[in-house]
Parts: sequence; structure tokens; C-alpha cells
Amino acid sequence: MPSYKLTYFDVRGLAEASRLLFHLAGVPFEDKRITFGDGSWEKLKDSTPFGQIPVLSVDGFEIPQSAAILRYLAKKFGFAGKTPEEQAWADAIVDQFKDFFGAFRQLIVAQRGGKSAEEIEKITSEVVKPAQESYFKILNGILEKNKSGFLVGNGITFADLVIAENIESLEKFGFFNASEQPKLSALREKVYTQPSLKSYLASRPDSQI
Amino acid sequence: MVHYKLTYFLSRGLADVSRQLFHLAGVEFEDERLNRDQFLERKESFPFKQVPVLTVDGLEIPQSMAIARYLATKFGFAGKTPEESALVDAFVDQFKDFYAEIHDYFYTMLGFTQLDGEEQKEKVLIPARDKFLPLLAKFLAKSKSGFLVDSGITFADLIIVDDMTTLINWWPQYADGYPEILAWRERVMNYPKLKEYIEKRPVTMA
Repeated sequence: MPSYKLTYFDVRGLAEASRLLFHLAGVPFEDKRITFGDGSWEKLKDSTPFGQIPVLSVDGFEIPQSAAILRYLAKKFGFAGKTPEEQAWADAIVDQFKDFFGAFRQLIVAQRGGKSAEEIEKITSEVVKPAQESYFKILNGILEKNKSGFLVGNGITFADLVIAENIESLEKFGFFNASEQPKLSALREKVYTQPSLKSYLASRPDSQI
Repeated sequence: MVHYKLTYFLSRGLADVSRQLFHLAGVEFEDERLNRDQFLERKESFPFKQVPVLTVDGLEIPQSMAIARYLATKFGFAGKTPEESALVDAFVDQFKDFYAEIHDYFYTMLGFTQLDGEEQKEKVLIPARDKFLPLLAKFLAKSKSGFLVDSGITFADLIIVDDMTTLINWWPQYADGYPEILAWRERVMNYPKLKEYIEKRPVTMA
């Protein structure tokens, strides 16, 4: 069996879906977590392929970029859809999430950059809320049509993991109200009640993002 | 035989990579190009209210890179091992990050913002370029094939070079400080079957 090491900050962020995938598949891996702000990232940065984390190391071969890592693992472990067309749809959903997240990130940057309350309100109402509305509309449309309750086909895929984690983060930021979003809440529930995820979810470090 | 239809605007944008893949593979497809009015008429009917959309025997697939990856995987332009394919995906994601970073410059040059193109070039394009191109150059230097990954040309080469065509159209000196990048661009654009397509395709700024 290959030796896997996943390196990322000590938050859920862009790597959590991959961590979940290892647990879902029951595959051991080194869950290397870098503490933000103690200088360890700066020391590590130049040795990574793209100067960024997460990085997945597979018997020493390094793969950067969170979605590339996630797709690689999902294909290996059988969570990338049952057909090429299903996989393309899982890819499309994750890309749509990334497009939304690009908008949402502007808010995080503004908050962390100490922008005025007015500026933050502007970004929230002019950028984030419209982006979220169309993103949720698309996801709900998919869940409306797909009777399995998963986003793609009849089983869990990496797309479900990404969206569940995003819903979790949006709720922590006050952008998701479970009672207003029954289908998305049900999806998160479906993911988080997978038996093989139970003990990891009970013990994992929490983070806002 | 599978029936393919690719629906997009008249331009190259994020969809020409997929047109290129059909031509490289010698596979026929319906190259549906919509003007702005036609797009607006049909917008609500598309799965993600956007183009490109690939229709495969009636099944619609949205999102430009999902489409490109699907075709590249089918036709053999997505790397030869799972690890290589992951690296190809990583280059494409890094390109999308670059593309997001230069958004204000790109959309200004398309005429969609009130910002100043020269100002955005200095503020946004050049810093992003100076992070992205050296990264590509690092991998090209070690590559056995002269393309981003060892086994040969992939859709990562195609999308990055095609976007560069747009950036060079707007600013001819864009990559002048990066001769190895320009040499790679030549190699991609001279690739058999791709060269013929490039010579015949509609000429568009973007």
C-alpha cells in the first residue's frame, strides 16, 4: 500500500474533504498539520511544488492543489462517480463551489484586513449574497432532480464532501440557516452520518473555515 | 457513434481548449457558437445558467474545465498515469487561480468594467504573471517532453497557452521576459492537427 501524507494548515479549509475521503475509504495517512503563524509554513513553502499547501505526498511523489488531490484520491478509492459522465458532473459541482468561494473569499479578506463595517456590508450584499443565491439555486436544483439525496448518481462522491464542508463553514459564518435550506441540510446530514466518518468527526479539531 | 455538441460564445475564452481537443483527437463535434442575444435567450435553459456546455448524446455537462477534463481523459490528453493526471489537474487549477487573480485586468480589457487597463496591467496582471510563469518554467525545464508533464501534451498546456494568446493580443510584450515560456507556446501551437485548427479557426481577441 502506498504511503500517503497530506500536509495543510491546522484548519478544515481546502483539505478537509481529502481528510474525510481517507477516513471514508478506511485508508491510513499521515495527517500533517502546520500551525499558522509560528514560522513553520515559511520554512516549508519553498520545498512545496507550487509554494502552497495542501500538498499530498504519495510515496514521495508530490501533488499540489486541493481539488487535484481530492479527485486523485476519489478516483483511487472509488468515490468519483460510477461513469466518466458522473465524474464530470462531480468536477463541475466542485468548480461551481470554487467560483462561489472566490466571491466569499473577498469577504474573509475584508474582515481579516480590518475593513470598515460599511465596506464589509457592501461586499456582503453586492458580491456574496447574489453569488450564494445562484450557487444554492443550482445545488437545490440538482438535489431536486436526484432522488438518491446525493449530488451525483446513487452514492457519495467527493462533490458531496466538498459541499457538506462548505455548508458547515457557511453556517459558522452565519451564512447558512438550516431551517431555510432543508435539502442542503439533509445532504450535510447524509455525509456526516456515514458510519466510517463517525469517529473522525467526533474527534477532529474544529475551525471556522 | 457518440454525438457531441459544444455550446459557447463566438470567442475562445475557456472553451477553445475543448474545441482543440476534438481537433487533436480527430473527433467530430457540433461547434455551436452563440452571439450575446442568443446566449441571453437560452441562458436559463443551461444547467448552471452559463456556457460552455457539452452535450453528449443529450446529456449536458457544464463548467469549462470539467468539460475539458472529460474530453481530455476520453481522448488521451490528460496524462498517462493517475499521478501525472493529478499534476495536470494541479496545473489547470493553478491557471484558474491565476485567471481569477487577473479578473480586474481581463474584464477591463473585455470592456466590462470602468477601470483603467494600463493601471490594472501594472497592479494586477504583472504581479500575477511574475508568480505564475516562473512556476511553469520550473516544470518545463525538468520535463522530458517539452510540455508540462513528461508524457507529452495535455489539456493543461492547451488552456494556459490559449489564454496567453489573449494576453499577448492585448499586450504583445506580455511574455517577452520569459523566452522559455514563449518557446513552449510555439511548441504547443505548432503541434500537429492543432496548428491546422489554429490557422482555420475564427480569429478573436479573447
